[in-house]
Amino acid sequence: MKLLSSQQRNSGLFPALLLVIGFVLLFPMRSEAYAGPGAGFAVLSSFWTIFAAFLYSFYALVTWPMRQLLRMFRRRKAYGKAQVKRVVIVGFDGMDPELANRFMGEGKLPNLTKLRDSGTFRPLRTTFPAISPVAWSTFQTGVNPGKHNIYDFLARDLKNYLPFLSSAQISEPKRHLRIGKYSVPLGKPEIKGLRRGTPFWHWLGKAGVFCSVIRVPVTFPPEKFPGVLLSGMCVPDLKGSQGTFCFCTTRMDGGRFREGGVRIPIERNGAGFRSYIPGPENPLGTGSELRADFKLRPDVKRGQAQIEIDSETFTIKVGEYSEWIPVKFEAGMGFTARGICRFYLKEISPEVEVYVTPVNIDPGRPDLPISHPVTYSIYLAKLFGPYATLGLAEDTWALNEEVLDDQAFLAQCYGNHEDRERMFFDALEKTPQGLCACVFDTTDRVQHMFWRYLDKDHPAARDVPQDQKPRVIQDLYDRMDSLIGRVMQQIDDQTLLLVISDHGFKSFARCMNLNAWLHQNGYLVLKDGKSESGDWFEDVDWSRTRAYTMGLNGLYLNVKGREREGIVEAGAEAEALKEELRSKLDRLVDPASGKIGITGMFDCDAVYAGPYVDNAPDLIVGYGEGFRASWDSVMGKVTTAIFEDNLKAWSGDHCVDPRLVPGVLFSNRKIAIEKPAIVDVAPTVMKLFGLELPSYLDGKPWAVATQTQDSV
Amino acid sequence: MPFRSVNFFASTPLLLVLGISIVIGLAMVIVFRYTSDQKAIGRAKDRLKAHLLAVRLFQDQLPVVMRAYGRILSGTCSYLRLAFTPFLIVLLPITFLIVQLDRYFGWMPLQPAQTFLVEARVEDPAALNEASLQLPPELSSSAPAVHVPKDKEVVWRVVAEREGQYDIQVAAAGQTVSKQVVVSPGLARISPVRLRGNLWERMFTSGEPALADNSPVQLIAISYPPRVIRFAWMEWNWIVLFFVVSLIAGFVFKSVLGIQV
Repeated sequence: MKLLSSQQRNSGLFPALLLVIGFVLLFPMRSEAYAGPGAGFAVLSSFWTIFAAFLYSFYALVTWPMRQLLRMFRRRKAYGKAQVKRVVIVGFDGMDPELANRFMGEGKLPNLTKLRDSGTFRPLRTTFPAISPVAWSTFQTGVNPGKHNIYDFLARDLKNYLPFLSSAQISEPKRHLRIGKYSVPLGKPEIKGLRRGTPFWHWLGKAGVFCSVIRVPVTFPPEKFPGVLLSGMCVPDLKGSQGTFCFCTTRMDGGRFREGGVRIPIERNGAGFRSYIPGPENPLGTGSELRADFKLRPDVKRGQAQIEIDSETFTIKVGEYSEWIPVKFEAGMGFTARGICRFYLKEISPEVEVYVTPVNIDPGRPDLPISHPVTYSIYLAKLFGPYATLGLAEDTWALNEEVLDDQAFLAQCYGNHEDRERMFFDALEKTPQGLCACVFDTTDRVQHMFWRYLDKDHPAARDVPQDQKPRVIQDLYDRMDSLIGRVMQQIDDQTLLLVISDHGFKSFARCMNLNAWLHQNGYLVLKDGKSESGDWFEDVDWSRTRAYTMGLNGLYLNVKGREREGIVEAGAEAEALKEELRSKLDRLVDPASGKIGITGMFDCDAVYAGPYVDNAPDLIVGYGEGFRASWDSVMGKVTTAIFEDNLKAWSGDHCVDPRLVPGVLFSNRKIAIEKPAIVDVAPTVMKLFGLELPSYLDGKPWAVATQTQDSV
Repeated sequence: MPFRSVNFFASTPLLLVLGISIVIGLAMVIVFRYTSDQKAIGRAKDRLKAHLLAVRLFQDQLPVVMRAYGRILSGTCSYLRLAFTPFLIVLLPITFLIVQLDRYFGWMPLQPAQTFLVEARVEDPAALNEASLQLPPELSSSAPAVHVPKDKEVVWRVVAEREGQYDIQVAAAGQTVSKQVVVSPGLARISPVRLRGNLWERMFTSGEPALADNSPVQLIAISYPPRVIRFAWMEWNWIVLFFVVSLIAGFVFKSVLGIQV
């Protein structure tokens, strides 16, 4: 009789504990909390990882033969005629060939020098106008703006002369359910990409060439293709803007920011303070703006403050940024918008001032798609932590408005840049064969904001002695050169490396309000009694206006039948007016400096061709070196002065005559072309992978040496 | 009555098991929260997820997929390393707690008029013939003793007349040892066996003091019926139910409290 042993078995305790211990030992992933069944929950979460990996491995194994066959078939097509195993494109937005040449001449930039000496270095012709969204759209599609429909950051609405973002439109869901005071959206916001044309990685992907594309401008909304892509410039913030910072302060004597930010009061709350971050509009149609409240407790002795927002509590010192902090905006009825932002503690005594970056879309749980596939942004967030997703993440406006100082701005720029380097090198590792393209925009932002120290007599830095001007741009080029050095270490002889920029840079010392010139010369007429107009042509009398300008380089005629209140007849009258404006504006001299303010006026009918030419400006204004459209002019404002000094930190620019600001082309292989253009990149890469080129492409493929040391 | 019983839960201790499971689930996540490096665990978990996503995203790049698998394994090791200390910290108290709870939930007490077996194992088989059972008046023997010399065991069939906690005496080789017997309709602390030495076994099965090392009796066992809990149309061993419920509770609480596990 085995009474006792059967009792023990029946009791369940010993075997159950054995089971438990067995679980712990066999599935140790769960052991972090599985110290008995009570903590077994933890086991599950880790077990799930292994289980999912196992499940996917099983799936991969079962489907492998079929996929391998398909891949072989595709690759035979794609790589059969390929001259390269991999193409790596490093885009430096705004890298200037003259500056690069100058620094290389001074013995700096060893890695770019090596590329120049053993491969290729040329100026790269840019687009008309030389603006990033235009040039990078041409880069990716291989066509002129008349075929991709991007002519500026902004386009104008012909019905009301108001601007809209040229690259993408986000609109409310079409259907709503009315519940009391709420209007509940049924569905997600509709995102429509306005850039036309097909990016060359779509063609490559279709042919079986794997592509990793990181932050190339004007790739929002991300389009489906066989590869991975993280969108760059033109991704909005959570408010739907291109970046609205928040400056929380106890000082309430400051005025409204011109653009790019809002001033929010900080109120005393017992021993601490409280304020809020403004968020998107309430999606339930209440017309109110959502807010994320936060509390701040300053510790003056230690020069730091503790900030509490939602469930996060963290401490930052004066002059330091926080990590990326998740923020939640609750609209009610379970609707929430989630984003991430960084806090910068500017001052805690005697006043309290906190700068908060624009609330970026959280890449780990994106409310809008910012990558293809959607999981790619999540993958990067899981691998490296949260990162800036906003298209224009470097807050140039905050520096312009003196909310941030030089150091704080640079810290923000290089913080974002380091994140992008990590993403890029990961993409490089994940793309042993195919295309890996990444655009770094730090080069553009830093040159925009620090050209004043490079220029000997820039009005924005006249009070800074020459020997005390920081070498910010030199340092920038050194950093980019170091990045190229690390890329060169990771690529082999079968990889083609292209280092390109979309345009170069010039000083922006003098602003020109072209609307003011048009007004003073009778082309733009204000309402009776007005001598100036507010933003977006507030006081313009359209019934008597023949021409106007908005955006950075476009000049428009007020054409009858096209614009809502157009008065210029299309055809001969419009052509004559264009010619008249060209002749008057071309070589226009700034009376104060005696310099030529406009070096070229370009007729769009001559520089563009394609189905979207009708959306183009009528004339492209090519400002001379040192000049650019004034901020007022860009925003459709009419002032009294035509020319004035640019006193803002935004002191360098490229929205000038495109012939003055070519980009750069470096390569580790010799390329036989004297005057390469950015439009040639797409056909060149497609040809290198052995693809047939679509006939609509405007670019011409370059002759590229087949090996690193070969001549063409 | 000297023994403790919780009559409210007597017929079904389901609510008690569920309540304890939920409380323990909560306690465990809180203990885990304060004994672990939450940030590091969060990072380790995120990286694991990233490598999993990499397998999906770069599925056509075989070397990339293989590297991702390698990283999943090494990430798992990192995760384990981070979880090891809190695991050790919660392991001992929880094991002790389960053992104690099993005294109440693992077995059903005997019922009045229910027949049960008393088994004694002796050191020397020669002592079997002399072994005798002395019962209190409320218990009575319902059959002659059965000797199993091969196993050095003697077994008595006994029946209880009414509720109570009793001591029965087993005499063998000139010595007498006692064993507790619980007859109750409620929830009571049960010790199904009393044995000598063997701390490890005693810890898991016996709720009574050890028999003396020189005792001629190695153990005395009572055939309490094992408890089965009915829940969700199934019959559960309480530990399995405890495992499942505390696990679900833990998952819920970790999400609510934002704790990385």
